[in-house]
Amino acid sequence: MKVLSIAWINVHRALRDRTGLFFLVALPLLLVFIIGAAFGGSMKPVVGVVGDAGALRSDASVQVRDFADEPALRAAVEHGEISAGLVRAGTPVLLTRSDRSGQQVRMLVTSALTREANRLSAGEFVASHAGIDRDTALSVVDSMRVEPVEVRATTTGEALFPEGFSGFDLGASNQLIVFTFLNALTTAAALVETRSFGVTRRMFATPTPARVIVAGEALGRIAIALLQGLIVVAGSALLFGVRWGDPLGAAALLVAFALVSGGAGLLLGALCRTQQQTGGFGILLGLGLAAFGGCMVPLEFFSPALRTVAFATPHGWANDGFAALTRRGGDLLSVAPHLGVLLGFAAVLFSLGAWRLRLAVTR
Amino acid sequence: MTVLSCSGLRRRFGDVLAVDDVSFTIAEGETYGLLGPNGAGKTTTISMITGVLERDAGEVVVDGVPMSPDAVAAKRLVGYVPQELALYPDLTGRENLRFFASLYGAGRRRVDEVLEVVGLADRAGDLAREYSGGMKRRLNVAIGLLHEPRLLVLDEPTAGVDPQSRNQIMENVRALAAEGMAILYTTHYMEEAERLCDRVGVIDSGRLIAEGTRRELVERLGERDRISLQLDGDLSHAATVLGAIPAVRGLAPHGHGLELVVDDARECLPVVLSAISTNGAVVRSVEVTEPNLETVFLHLTGKALRE
Ligand SMILES: Nc1ncnc2c1ncn2[C@@H]1O[C@H](COP(=O)(O)OP(=O)(O)OP(=O)(O)O)[C@@H](O)[C@H]1O
Ligand SMILES: [Mg+2]
Repeated sequence: MKVLSIAWINVHRALRDRTGLFFLVALPLLLVFIIGAAFGGSMKPVVGVVGDAGALRSDASVQVRDFADEPALRAAVEHGEISAGLVRAGTPVLLTRSDRSGQQVRMLVTSALTREANRLSAGEFVASHAGIDRDTALSVVDSMRVEPVEVRATTTGEALFPEGFSGFDLGASNQLIVFTFLNALTTAAALVETRSFGVTRRMFATPTPARVIVAGEALGRIAIALLQGLIVVAGSALLFGVRWGDPLGAAALLVAFALVSGGAGLLLGALCRTQQQTGGFGILLGLGLAAFGGCMVPLEFFSPALRTVAFATPHGWANDGFAALTRRGGDLLSVAPHLGVLLGFAAVLFSLGAWRLRLAVTR
Repeated sequence: MTVLSCSGLRRRFGDVLAVDDVSFTIAEGETYGLLGPNGAGKTTTISMITGVLERDAGEVVVDGVPMSPDAVAAKRLVGYVPQELALYPDLTGRENLRFFASLYGAGRRRVDEVLEVVGLADRAGDLAREYSGGMKRRLNVAIGLLHEPRLLVLDEPTAGVDPQSRNQIMENVRALAAEGMAILYTTHYMEEAERLCDRVGVIDSGRLIAEGTRRELVERLGERDRISLQLDGDLSHAATVLGAIPAVRGLAPHGHGLELVVDDARECLPVVLSAISTNGAVVRSVEVTEPNLETVFLHLTGKALRE
């Protein structure tokens, strides 16, 4: 298949070239870690302990690390190696930093220590009243432990971000949209290069219809965009538990947006004469569309007029699509309109790109 | 049998009429040279013939199939070696060939054959970027041979290469023509055109101003082959004898000898020499002058072929 040959030569060259390799593999992996670290929900605070950790050690919401003495513990807290430090000699002393995470750790530690104290004093009480030894009494207490009451929180009124939505999951999809598109535009430079080598023209001299050449060049770009998107989505979900919503819906949005990005890369590569031009326009377009599409500031904060502008960009639609999945509990069906619009964008970009590329070579 | 026929080709770039009413044909097994100074319109003509450039007017037919940028069937019949190296420098020679082979529908075995033909088999695994200029040129030619075309179009295939690579390329072209391939060849090197081409067309400022075999062109200018003889013996007798030979068209005294104007100096020379010796004269020296394409070219265009 000629389409696949042309697509493959693009991926092959991108893999062989060092900077290409960076954009293809290293950058998405880097993004996985940035997104995961910033937006992942499963980070456990680490509490350093001097002395007996007691009930903290069995607490699922913190991780305990033992320290030999207080100075070492204090240094670790100051360096940010651990979230907080607990010294257990007489009255427990908790070392925290004065930020919000410090307060959270303080609540966790206080409740764990209170639970421990409750258990011990209940054991004393049972032992003295039932006349049994202390260990048996404690096992009786343990057997009748009250499970924590589950409290479901919900917001009332006009909440933009429902409870349980960290606000960060949206950030992850924003990053995905911005970088998938930007990266695809950088592949435009490769197309300009192929043209300047005279290779595109030479392809036109072979018995290969123009649409096949264009489709092949486009497919290479889509494949690269898709690969990057997949690495970011799957990587951040698996490693950091970042939520992307309904998997089918998210996959469909990703494919549709990769098509748009590949189409944009093709058109830009057909329009520009030099690689510098693709770089300049690429950054300008990539960041401009991202800003207007609500990837920098949430769409909810846009004025009605700006919202109209946002929905003139593929970024706005992709953004709203991911929002529908992650925040409104949507599925494939609820993002169908978004998919339709994105595929429309892709179709227009491909047609324009194909037309321009053919002109650029044969005119 | 005619393989390429183009007629009335015209192409304008803005104010420049790059090609103006160019027509010619190339037969099976024939090598046709397109000669012209820089900017004459050779590459533009070739681009229209290979279907990579839209034309403003004119027809191109390859083996009975009309050529245009969308004519896939016609492109199957044409091999194209562009003037500028058109290959991926960051791929190996073999990878470049395999890529284009897939576009021409040629197999992997053919890639290895072509590598042998152009003498790159032992360097096939090296990046094209690391090839010498001559090797890059040979790879450029190899891509055009992959699908064994009916018509091979070479646009200055030897520009700036070492004599070894040049000879290799010229030998390749000669062998392909011998197999019956029609060849369109442009060059700035007159000796290449004289060695390879059965016919040449001279193009200047977009117009084909003369066409024919070297001999035809030379004669059209009134330039003829000449044989100068220095003789001992009876000059007037010798003149009578030589004047009776049909191929000798003119005759004049020249120092201690004669200057003959002949149809074809190489064919004529043995006849002339034997006629003289049978008539008792002794030849002291012989000088043959064949007016070359360079002369023709200078005469027609007022320009040297290479500036
Ligand atoms: N893409 C183009 N845009 C504008 N002008 C062009 C273009 N291609 C060629 N020309 C002009 O057309 C004329 C013929 O150019 P062409 O390349 O066909 O010449 P050539 O005979 O191949 O010259 P050379 O021997 O230097 O390769 C020149 O005046 C050139 O400047
Ligand atoms: Mg040229």
